[in-house]
Amino acid sequence: INVCTQRSTRYLSAISAARGLHKSALDVVERPAPEETVTSSFGRFIQSVQPRHLSPTVLQRSKRMVLDSIGVGLLGSTTDVFELALQHCQHMYAPDDVSFVYGRQGVKLSPTLAAFVNGVAAHSMDFDDTWHPATHPSGAVLPALLAISDMFHNNSKPSGLDFLTAFNVGIEIQGWLMRFSNEAHNIPKRFHPPSVVGTMGSAAACARLLSLDRNQCSNALAIAASLAGAPMANAATQSKPLHIGNASRLGLEAALLASRGLEASPLVLDAVPGVAGFSAFYEDYAPNPIASLEEHEHSFLIETQDIAFKRFPAHLGMHWIADAATVVHKTLVGLKGGSVSPNLVQEILLRVPLSKYINRPFPETEHQARHSFQFNACTALLDGEVTVQSFHTEALQRPELLALLSRVRVEHPHDNPANFNIMYGEVEVTLVSGDVLRGRCDTFYGHWRNPLSQESLQKKFRSNAGAVLSNERVERLIEAVEGLDHLDDCKPLLAQLQ
Amino acid sequence: MVLFSIPFHEITESFGAAVSCLSTSHLTDEVIRRSKRMILDTLGVGLLGTSTPVFNTVLQCSQQALENSKVWGRPGLSLPPQYAAFVNGVAVHSMDFDDTWHPATHPSGAVLPAVLALAETLPVKPSGLELLLAFSVGIEVQGRLLRFSKEAHNIPKRFHPPAVVGVMGSAAATAKLLGLPAAQSIAALAIACSSAGAPMANAATQTKPLHMGNAARGGLEATQLALLGLEGNAQILDLESGFGAFYPDYVPHPLAEVTPTSRYRWVLEDQNIAQKRFPAHLGMHWVADAAIEARAKFLDKCPNADLSQIKKITLRVPTSRYVDCPLPVSEHQARHSFQFNCCTALLDGEVTVESFSKSQMIRSALKEMLLKVQLENPQDNHSSFEKMYCEIAVETTQGEMFTARCNTFYGHWRKPLSHVDLVRKFRANASTVLSAEVVEGIIYTVDHLDTNQDCSMLWSYMHFNKHMMDRNERRSSALA
Repeated sequence: INVCTQRSTRYLSAISAARGLHKSALDVVERPAPEETVTSSFGRFIQSVQPRHLSPTVLQRSKRMVLDSIGVGLLGSTTDVFELALQHCQHMYAPDDVSFVYGRQGVKLSPTLAAFVNGVAAHSMDFDDTWHPATHPSGAVLPALLAISDMFHNNSKPSGLDFLTAFNVGIEIQGWLMRFSNEAHNIPKRFHPPSVVGTMGSAAACARLLSLDRNQCSNALAIAASLAGAPMANAATQSKPLHIGNASRLGLEAALLASRGLEASPLVLDAVPGVAGFSAFYEDYAPNPIASLEEHEHSFLIETQDIAFKRFPAHLGMHWIADAATVVHKTLVGLKGGSVSPNLVQEILLRVPLSKYINRPFPETEHQARHSFQFNACTALLDGEVTVQSFHTEALQRPELLALLSRVRVEHPHDNPANFNIMYGEVEVTLVSGDVLRGRCDTFYGHWRNPLSQESLQKKFRSNAGAVLSNERVERLIEAVEGLDHLDDCKPLLAQLQ
Repeated sequence: MVLFSIPFHEITESFGAAVSCLSTSHLTDEVIRRSKRMILDTLGVGLLGTSTPVFNTVLQCSQQALENSKVWGRPGLSLPPQYAAFVNGVAVHSMDFDDTWHPATHPSGAVLPAVLALAETLPVKPSGLELLLAFSVGIEVQGRLLRFSKEAHNIPKRFHPPAVVGVMGSAAATAKLLGLPAAQSIAALAIACSSAGAPMANAATQTKPLHMGNAARGGLEATQLALLGLEGNAQILDLESGFGAFYPDYVPHPLAEVTPTSRYRWVLEDQNIAQKRFPAHLGMHWVADAAIEARAKFLDKCPNADLSQIKKITLRVPTSRYVDCPLPVSEHQARHSFQFNCCTALLDGEVTVESFSKSQMIRSALKEMLLKVQLENPQDNHSSFEKMYCEIAVETTQGEMFTARCNTFYGHWRKPLSHVDLVRKFRANASTVLSAEVVEGIIYTVDHLDTNQDCSMLWSYMHFNKHMMDRNERRSSALA
């Protein structure tokens, strides 16, 4: 039983009664305080949070997230789906084409469309960050903020700290919303989380950067709720990246509409029986208001719950199984030397959590391969690692890979739940000789419990960004992000991306 | 080397096949007649809606340079087709005046703006019949999808239906207009599905009309993306994790095969549509008709009676939180308030477009009467537009009781508006924005849509506004 839920449904201020919120006219009672609802608490938070609320840890972690997200976005600008989305938007053509596009020097689009294509880039290869509860938070927020930053006049660009504040607001709101549901803590089955909370996060971040007042912030969230929600079935297809692109774009649109005065439900985040708001996206929804910043010390969620950065472009679950398979690969190579030959292998057993959309015995496309326990295990078994190149067409069709794939069996142990905080990956290879080799991974390198070192993160960035930018720009970007909280304005960051 | 065969994905594939195989030869007279009525009505409410603040807001937000499709009621102003579809879709639903179907949704507003905006951009303009076909496909797909869930048969509580099925209808209609092959139609549906769904909480707010605008836009965009080669999940309609995500009880069925010579049974044939007489949620229409009858009985008995003699009003209606609003403040709330519509009907003997204006809403007589209303939710009054009724009991200070009951309001699919009344509604709406000449031109064009080879007149007519000069003309006269 959630006291706050009960409170919000007994909301009886004069204002709300006048708005006719489901109470008999004769029951109207006078009461002040517009802060009672969950929704208004969110609006208030977004409007009132300041740079000084950001702790060093929060600063450090968010800068890492910004760096990684830019990198995967730049790499993603080389994909087919990105090219497609870009063509689509160029056809749409905008007069206020002021915002940059990743990896396309000189090309500009309107802010919303730039947010869209850059968001698609960020998620195009499933290389972007993952959080707990599960979502890809940065890809939904960063493109929108960068697009807006391009909108500001050259003399009044936001400072690095303002930018980081807005970014963290966007991440924070996502984290808060996911904690309203137990269902959200597991690998998703129904709605793709970035399309649910990502849109809300983008709206919040944009509202913050645009300095909207608290009512406008609440409205931005409510408008965004009507733009949220895409079903899981489109994961592992070419359309999945659009979920992040749309989250970014639509959150920005929601903020812009709110800034023009559009209003929506003032109770969208509250749990009102009989009329679903944001609760529509969950089976179990129990919201809580964010405490007022004037009365409480606000602790950002990223402070206590770090984020995972991927080492290769595939669904997070793949990282456990790849690391487990790499252990076996090393053992095999140690025994026989050279490369691993499929002829040695009789059977491969994978022990993984039960999750239909990442259980694919014979993936046909790169999108499917990024969502296949079997594919990633066999690749790591063969090569000792999974890389960006592992998902290229030639790699997908290797006969030795296909040979291994046909020998894979999958088990779903009861102690291996579909939860990124608890799951593990186990690979058991039976050789024709009768030997059985095992590898297990509880926490892959890059998981929030074992985060990438700053060196590893920068290495990933250099490799990604270097695919489309000169070394000079790559280094300047690293520098700009590293010093973001000290920049008077974020021009140095934007300049490298134009 | 493919090591497994692709299983036959019945339902989604059947949709793709149907969407691409249905042709003008499958349109029956009844379907043509009904869809022309729907088109006429939708155009009218859309024009009326161009005078609302929400429409102006979204228009400002969407203006862009490369203009292809006309914005209704804004001479000289065009937008890229999906934004034109967006703003025009918002216009259609801006006052909750557009059509309603069973199972519940507002089907035309999601489809027509998208189809017209797209048609305008095609190098070879479609014939009127092709336009009607695309429109009908968009309606049909919505009707079929709604039948996959029992929950969909009741007044919605979770997701606003136009945002769920509307975007799918728009995708299907625009795919049809472009003549996409089945596989691409499926892609359009799959992509559209990722744009579906908006929670009910935004109903009765200024944002609700955007659900319609976004449905029209999202479906059109999905088709454009599919045309460019984007793919989604080819089983999108089969899966619980696909379109099934929006319903707790999702049981899909494949559409019947369509051959060039077979007869196709359209949902619209078996299930007609409701067209509203005043701009408010459908449930309000039962209440209004019942209240008007009770008022007549009261005034019949006591010809010089003063309505302030009413002591208590009991309304027996189905349970539906989002239209239970005792003291509405905004026009959006008023359109979603059993109580408001009841009192307006009692006071005035009718509910009209004007009833929701500020001056009408703040009348003290109305406010006083609102305090006297009590709602009851009888068990036998189901929250379904097919089954609900409204009973009213008016008690006077003299101790007299006047009751009335409405099972089927005039305009409901069981008692559709006559052609004369439908056209009268259109004239009233359209003439707020268009001259009489243009109004008659649209009536004529829609009436002859199925025999007209060139229907580009239709969007040209929609582009006038008797209160405004053409933006381009204005510029040149300013320079003169």
